[in-house]
Amino acid sequence: MANDALTPRPPLPDGRGGEPRVEMLGISKRFGPVLANDNVDLTLWPGEIHAVLGENGAGKTTLMNVLSGMYQPDDGQILLDGQPAVIKTPIDALEQGIGTVYQHFTLVPNLSVIENVVLGTKTGFRLDLGNAERQLQTMLADFALNTTPQTEVRHLSIGQRQRIEIIKVLFRGTRVLLLDEPTSVLTPVEVEGLFAILRRLREQGVAVVIITHKLDEALDLSDRITVLRQGRKVGVLDPETLAASDRETSRLRIVELMFGGRPSSEGSDVASGSAAPGETLLTLSAISADGDRGAPAVKNLSLDLHRGEVFGIAGVDGNGQKELGEVIAGQRRSTSGSLAIDGRTLTNQGVSAISRAGIGYVTDDRLGEGSVPGQSVAENAVLKTIGLAPFSRKFWLNRKAIERHAEALIEQFDVRTPSASTQLTLLSGGNIQKLLLARELAMKPKVLVCNKPTYGLDIRTAQFVLKTLREQANDGNAVLLISSELDELLDVSDRLGVMYNGELVAIFERGEFDVETIGQLMLTGRRATGVAA
Amino acid sequence: MTLNGIDVTDFLTAMLATGLLRAVPLAIASLGDVFAQKAGLLNLGIEGMMLSGCFFGFHAAYKTESVVLGMLGGIAGGLAMALLFGFLTIHLRVDQVLVGLAITIFAAGLTGYLFRDWYGGQNVAANVRARSIEIPLLSDIPIIGPAIFHRQIIFYICWALVPVFAWLLYRTRFGLNVRAVGESPFAADAAGVNVIRTRYLAIGLAGVMAGFAGAFLAVADLRIFTIGMTVGQGFIALAITMLGGWNPWRIAAGAILFGMLNALGDSLQIVGVGIRTEFIGMLPYIGIMLALVVLAGKTQLPASLGVPYARGQR
Ligand SMILES: Nc1ncnc2c1ncn2[C@@H]1O[C@H](COP(=O)(O)OP(=O)(O)OP(=O)(O)O)[C@@H](O)[C@H]1O
Ligand SMILES: [Mg+2]
Repeated sequence: MANDALTPRPPLPDGRGGEPRVEMLGISKRFGPVLANDNVDLTLWPGEIHAVLGENGAGKTTLMNVLSGMYQPDDGQILLDGQPAVIKTPIDALEQGIGTVYQHFTLVPNLSVIENVVLGTKTGFRLDLGNAERQLQTMLADFALNTTPQTEVRHLSIGQRQRIEIIKVLFRGTRVLLLDEPTSVLTPVEVEGLFAILRRLREQGVAVVIITHKLDEALDLSDRITVLRQGRKVGVLDPETLAASDRETSRLRIVELMFGGRPSSEGSDVASGSAAPGETLLTLSAISADGDRGAPAVKNLSLDLHRGEVFGIAGVDGNGQKELGEVIAGQRRSTSGSLAIDGRTLTNQGVSAISRAGIGYVTDDRLGEGSVPGQSVAENAVLKTIGLAPFSRKFWLNRKAIERHAEALIEQFDVRTPSASTQLTLLSGGNIQKLLLARELAMKPKVLVCNKPTYGLDIRTAQFVLKTLREQANDGNAVLLISSELDELLDVSDRLGVMYNGELVAIFERGEFDVETIGQLMLTGRRATGVAA
Repeated sequence: MTLNGIDVTDFLTAMLATGLLRAVPLAIASLGDVFAQKAGLLNLGIEGMMLSGCFFGFHAAYKTESVVLGMLGGIAGGLAMALLFGFLTIHLRVDQVLVGLAITIFAAGLTGYLFRDWYGGQNVAANVRARSIEIPLLSDIPIIGPAIFHRQIIFYICWALVPVFAWLLYRTRFGLNVRAVGESPFAADAAGVNVIRTRYLAIGLAGVMAGFAGAFLAVADLRIFTIGMTVGQGFIALAITMLGGWNPWRIAAGAILFGMLNALGDSLQIVGVGIRTEFIGMLPYIGIMLALVVLAGKTQLPASLGVPYARGQR
């Protein structure tokens, strides 16, 4: 076990150069018909941050899982410090100093922070938490986490959990740190904090791998960039190349590598429609609701949504956006106020009444409430409509119809899956998201509420999703888009509201969007001038 | 003071003594099952493991005339069933409910068959006597003296296991692994915990304890075997485990409460209050039902209870 929190073993003289820390050679991994990794090479140097990029389903997670011992490659070899390494289980990887922060969280919610951190370490039969606790205290301080080691993890915010994940890995003394989409769930401030930590680790000679869908993050942070496409490594941008070319050139090069010669859907056809807003579809009057812990999360919020518009909700995570979405979807009871759809009052009428009235909802918790992970893609595709014709008649399910419907969605949204009968959890993160969105849109909702619909999506797919939302509005429906990505909100919204501490503190019309002011409002709830909206 | 001609002190002493005696096998089996459930194994085979413990414990005691070997025989009987459960559910990933029920039915059939074959189905007593000790001074206290401080050695051993198991669950690496594995096996695996081994150890411990509980019944307490003699006590233990929130202390309390209700029923019959015996016999089960109703929703099942694990199948 490491004696000092952030000292990797063995200490390197100056951290950089020398021989590669890890060499993955000719790695191949097949899942049934899908060749997730096809003869991939990856070299990691000490003291370097290496970004691995690629579209959804490109095989990034698979490659990391091979290195972390979660998957056994069908072919290929791994060298550690030049020597062939045997990595058959996660234990092997951990013992050789390879630590992983997985795409989906790997903390046990009911255990305390300290229990999570010592879980799996080998220090005798009796748990000696005293020693570990002293060490953990310094690390918590180091990472600016003001929580106690005894706090149960389920009480922590996502950003805090993320840092605990990293602490957990560093606690064992890590020489190679793998991070699979660590920033997707973080707020910008938290992302900055994470990057500071990663840069510090780089100084200390750790080899860091980061997977991300945000090109700017990769370009800001990394020394070397590897791009995967359909399981193959299609290019590496080494430090010299990156230093020699300006950001825009690098960006274009990467996008070209990621998507090959295929036409890019990038472009600003997502820009808002200019048609004058139509009649009101959704009315919220002075709605209030409590959060999971009983404290008020949405406070006295009023809002009208009109035909033909995309209404964006900006805000730092945890300011009541999620709860607002759930109230509209009928998943959360409002404590006061009223909700009307198309003029019909439906306050607290429950999910099915509200969904019949024409509201669609895409949650940000895709594996949790959004889907039944153990079931097939097809079953998940009809999860909400399974009781209706043509999918079921009387008691019988019409398997054919279900499958045909699912296949159409798969085709239309380019969901990468071996078949419609594949178990949902076997899809890559981004492809699960695409399917859930496809499912909601197929129900042709009058009002679609989306919470972070592009989270975890590659840039092309994200553009496609935004475009689809735009079209949804242009077809005479309304969209409420909740997001923590200000850029996409600015691109696609006709009106933009800012939520702060459960209140809608300002609404901007397109044309008066001002990043500075909006940022101010997100962080403080006030305009810089002190004039509250 | 007397009640219907029975001395009240004697009545209370008998009730307390019986209650605690009835509580022992429940507490023991539950303590072990905490580990199975916390590790994500819904052990409906516990009834069969206990019955197997009764028979093989009795058989060993009958042949060797030794209490210790009898208890060991029971433990072996419970463990064998547990390993079968483990192999089917952990290794082959067959549905746990199915396997648990199958094990319970299998154990009933097997012990019934062997009992008829080896003993001709005749009730014979094993020639064993579990030794008792009388704790000086304390055993002179009225009522609780004889009921608590003048008991078989094995009785004390059983209750001493409660703090041992609490320690094992909360203060050891094994306990931590068990708690993690039943909650999120993927997280535990990623942290370097051997999920499969932890689950085997947990079900093994549950089997040992269920077998021990069965042997207590057949060897230390009754000294005979009868077909199907556990009559659902394994399932009661399972319920007590859940109702006790997987906390060894609360489980011990739950077992005592259930044992007491049981003893109260018996005592009331002896005293002869004008209530039908069938109704009195139902008391403890009504108690469990009530507890289930009151506590339902308050307990938080281990998130991966009943879910098999295989690495790489997200
Ligand atoms: N355990 C598994 N069983 C079957 N198929 C799998 C499994 N893991 C991954 N795949 C498949 O392998 C391919 C690559 O998946 P992977 O998770 O590596 O993609 P990714 O690049 O991480 O994508 P994303 O950006 O969406 O997370 C996908 O088509 C996926 O469906
Ligand atoms: Mg991935």
